[in-house]
Amino acid sequence: MGISIGVDVGGTFTDLAAVDARGRVVTRKVLSTPLDQSDGVAAAIDALSPARGTVGRIAHGTTVVTNLLLERTGASVVLCSTRGVTDLPELRRQERAALYNLSLDHPPPLVGNSRVVAVHERVAPSGVTIALTDAEEDRVARAVAAYAPEVVVISLLHAYSNDAHERRLAAAISRRLPGADVVTAASVLPEIREYERTATALAEGYARPRVRRYLGRLSQRLRARGLPSPVVMTSGGGMLTLDDAGECAASLALSGPAGGVVGAAAVMRAAGFRDALTVDIGGTSADAGLIVGGEPLVEAGGSVAGVPIALPRVLVETVSAGGGSVAWVDGGGALRVGPHSAGARPGPVAFGFGGTEPTVTDAQIALGHLDAAALSGGVRLDAAAAREAIANLARRLGATPARTAAAIVAIADASVARALRRVSVQRGVDPRRCVLVAFGGGGPLHACALAESLGMRRILVPPHAGVLSALGLAIAPERREAASSVMRDARGISRRELAAILRDLAGRAAAMPRPRIEARLRVRYQGQGYELDVPFRASDDGAAVARRFAALHDARYGFTLDRTVEVVAARVAAMGPRLPLRLGRRQRASDGRSSSSAPGAESGGFRQRMTRGPRVVTLGDATMVVARGWTARPLPIGGWLVERAR
Amino acid sequence: MTRAAFDPLALSVMSNAVAMIAEEMGTVLERGALSPNIRERRDASAAIFDAAGRMIAQAAHIPVHLGAMPESVRAVIARQPGAGDVFLLNSPFDGGSHLPDLTMVEAVSAGGTRIIGYAAVRAHHADVGGMSPGSMPQGAVELVQEGLHLPPIRLVRAGRLDDSLLELVLANVRTPDERRGDLEAQRAACGAGADGWRALVSREGAARMRAACDALLDYTERRVRARLREIGDAEGSASDILEGDGVSEAPVPLAVRLRIRRGAFSLDFSGSSPRVRGNVNAPKAVVRAAAVFVLRSLLDDDVPVNEGIARPIAIVTPDDCVLDARWPSAVAAGNVETSQRVADLLFAALADAGVPVPAQGQGTMNNITFGGDGWTFYETLGGGQGASVRGPGPSAVHVGMSNTRNTPVEALERAYPIEVETYAVRRGSGGSGAHRGGDGVVRVYRVRERCTVTILSERRLRAPRGAMGGGDGATGINRLNGKALPSKCRAELSPGDVVEIQTPGGGGWGAPR
Repeated sequence: MGISIGVDVGGTFTDLAAVDARGRVVTRKVLSTPLDQSDGVAAAIDALSPARGTVGRIAHGTTVVTNLLLERTGASVVLCSTRGVTDLPELRRQERAALYNLSLDHPPPLVGNSRVVAVHERVAPSGVTIALTDAEEDRVARAVAAYAPEVVVISLLHAYSNDAHERRLAAAISRRLPGADVVTAASVLPEIREYERTATALAEGYARPRVRRYLGRLSQRLRARGLPSPVVMTSGGGMLTLDDAGECAASLALSGPAGGVVGAAAVMRAAGFRDALTVDIGGTSADAGLIVGGEPLVEAGGSVAGVPIALPRVLVETVSAGGGSVAWVDGGGALRVGPHSAGARPGPVAFGFGGTEPTVTDAQIALGHLDAAALSGGVRLDAAAAREAIANLARRLGATPARTAAAIVAIADASVARALRRVSVQRGVDPRRCVLVAFGGGGPLHACALAESLGMRRILVPPHAGVLSALGLAIAPERREAASSVMRDARGISRRELAAILRDLAGRAAAMPRPRIEARLRVRYQGQGYELDVPFRASDDGAAVARRFAALHDARYGFTLDRTVEVVAARVAAMGPRLPLRLGRRQRASDGRSSSSAPGAESGGFRQRMTRGPRVVTLGDATMVVARGWTARPLPIGGWLVERAR
Repeated sequence: MTRAAFDPLALSVMSNAVAMIAEEMGTVLERGALSPNIRERRDASAAIFDAAGRMIAQAAHIPVHLGAMPESVRAVIARQPGAGDVFLLNSPFDGGSHLPDLTMVEAVSAGGTRIIGYAAVRAHHADVGGMSPGSMPQGAVELVQEGLHLPPIRLVRAGRLDDSLLELVLANVRTPDERRGDLEAQRAACGAGADGWRALVSREGAARMRAACDALLDYTERRVRARLREIGDAEGSASDILEGDGVSEAPVPLAVRLRIRRGAFSLDFSGSSPRVRGNVNAPKAVVRAAAVFVLRSLLDDDVPVNEGIARPIAIVTPDDCVLDARWPSAVAAGNVETSQRVADLLFAALADAGVPVPAQGQGTMNNITFGGDGWTFYETLGGGQGASVRGPGPSAVHVGMSNTRNTPVEALERAYPIEVETYAVRRGSGGSGAHRGGDGVVRVYRVRERCTVTILSERRLRAPRGAMGGGDGATGINRLNGKALPSKCRAELSPGDVVEIQTPGGGGWGAPR
């Protein structure tokens, strides 16, 4: 296998990391090209200019789906729904957009009710109650064709358990409208709760044509350079081939942030840790994530840009507390930070682009944590202007500028810390048992304060902290999933039946040689609405699964029930081999590039030593603050381990 | 640390930390619970109280629980709880709201005997016994008909469950297995809250935590009073009616005089009906919750939700008043319907005082309960919100004192012998106007077994009013097999019977252009 390249497209920069067969890393950073992201990707690859035939794989993290959902620039879609329940996209789950702001409404659904076709059919949990006739198929297909849509989404009641009607209708519509994409909701998300399933299928249909066009352009540019077709990261941390990605557009909604957590997991494993919280702080926002047992935590649900997408996603909670978040004084006299951000333009006061409101970055400058050379992207910092803006705010608060600056940073930290607590404590993970992996431009700057407020004692600042997402993409293994519905009493499932389920799913998921197989059952007490994931092996029977579930339930919620244990579904993930990663000591490089060499190799100029706080350390693409009471020491894999003195 | 030294920074940190604990309690409850009303609809609230019983944070779920939960903790404190005790209560006259809302309160200690705070979870259970399945009866005339009445009982003593008490409770409800599971989940949620609060107090130290609580409540109070001063001195009054008390269809008048003066918010309900025979009587805690909700909606989105909000509120009710329910009055509809009307009343009085408020929303929760052999099902339905100067009213949402989610059709049909034939937006039901009122919803149920249906609703006769020249929303409609039913009713159903609810639209804002 040749060089593996990861390319991550962000709001400002497109980052690239290339890992060769011996595990050595080279990175590049170029400006993003929002009009066509593939321009920036091509530019990043040209900046690397790999020799022909040396690149084995290109893995891509994209924000194309996030952006089209934010901007509402997706395809023209028609929805087909069971007669009587055609308003689901508008009805949502009935709760209001804000509890106390009575005028606020939800963003409008991706498809309005004038583009919904009612289907006369009905399936109940017990079976079909109104059969779908040939005449009805024909009527619906004609009604749909009258809209001349790019995409048709079909979502019928109870199709998670019986999708025969959805499939027949899809075939009929495809015959009449051969040019349109037809998406059945049960194929996108075979799970109960009609609103979430329908909304997810709509997101899939809405995003699919543009995603296909984008991926087509991208692979064309790569082919023109003699490079392989790319694989694309999903929100769940999986890796899809170009063709599969074109059919799983909704699963790419958090492609970018997922790469960061996957990269953090790889570095953390290499450093010998198992459980971590991750924090990626950029210009406008901060992402908090969780890694358990060396793997990013993956969950289903949530929404992106106001569009609910109930697909597995690497747990990432985003809060508006980045470098550009603005500090202000509210009606009660309290100092507040965000959610408004100065962004890149006008940006923090120190950028000198016309910003007048002090930001977190300005506060960091006033505290002496950032110097003029610290930011990449050709921005020179005006420290005096930043200090002046902070002093103005301090006068209004009746506090000293130093205390005001410290408070701004502390408030931003508090909201990030809250996100970190939510992602961990809510899932039964004690943050004090975890190492904090801090990356992105601002992560290493805030890490000590965050760790202190969470009672954490260790921080890992990875090598290549500023482009860690791209590195994550480069080394992420291929991962494919298959799932099936089970819906049975656990105690009635024999060893042979479980083994057969596992064999079937593993066969469907594993397209790569010698895969690692990870099998889980979704289990609950009969009557509950949510499941716990219970791992299983071919040697298990249902009773063993039920026992494991009870223990897990007790650990998670503190009680068990004397009730039927129900196996709802089975999921199997097949993973290809992990790529080797040998991160060496970092060399300092000019013009925004950096590279690393194998451990032990003498790197000449830049020798790193143990550093006791308080101290500010300038890294290649980020700045690290080592607080009082903390000690940073360089790691053999590169990067730093920062520990609290006992 | 002295109180003066508690600065804005530490305040924000602390506010986030406590809110987080309450949110986490809500998640544990939802994940563990059995009944669709709790796990799908989230008809529940979680809150954290300090050692003095002051509410420090509540997870933002259900407004009607908002001002009412502190009464539960005060009722428990009166029983001198010991460390690790968990109380269960539902008495509307001793810390509760209406009987199906079972509230659990855990007394938290740091390991010793001293109590450092309380974790409380209120959840609406699908049945607590009484004269009709689902315990939301129409026609009840005394509390004991509505279900099992629990003053604060010590369900857990120093960490040990009192099995005989639990058995007593379960022996008096129609669906004991489901109740047991929901109560276990509720206890787990309290436990999560207790753990979180204990960890926070031990990290911060008891003295600092006390100061933080003082400062947090003071901060919220400051925000409320600052807003009231910004509105300025104002006075307004309003009156409205309830469409019958559940026994008779005679209107039940309600009236309020509202006065904002020097940062205080005073309400005088003189002129409201005396206590009535049916179950629209509301405990004062429910009236206070409505006042807190209306006041909260005047504030910015970020004001923390704690007891500081209630401090500027003063409430006067006459001696014998439908808004001050006393033993042995029936109250089931007071919490869900009278609370809505009180909120409408307060918004109308604000409008009369010259404060801009939206047009009226649906003003009802549309409570519907089905009960058959071995099962009970309860849900409430969203409707139209009123339009405002800022834009049209949202459609098909809960307004006012509720914010529960719907029951997914698929979850409902899997759990109960009911088919949902129609679940749709009720087009054109919002009032006309420069900004249109939100539309209500249509929900049609066909039952497959013999069962009982109970409906408690409002705004079937008197429409939600438009504002500033905007049209009224459409009144709601209840039907059985096509025939109209009154606002509050109960009927025995045979297999194949069809119940249809059309919920009210919201009022429009401004004359139509």
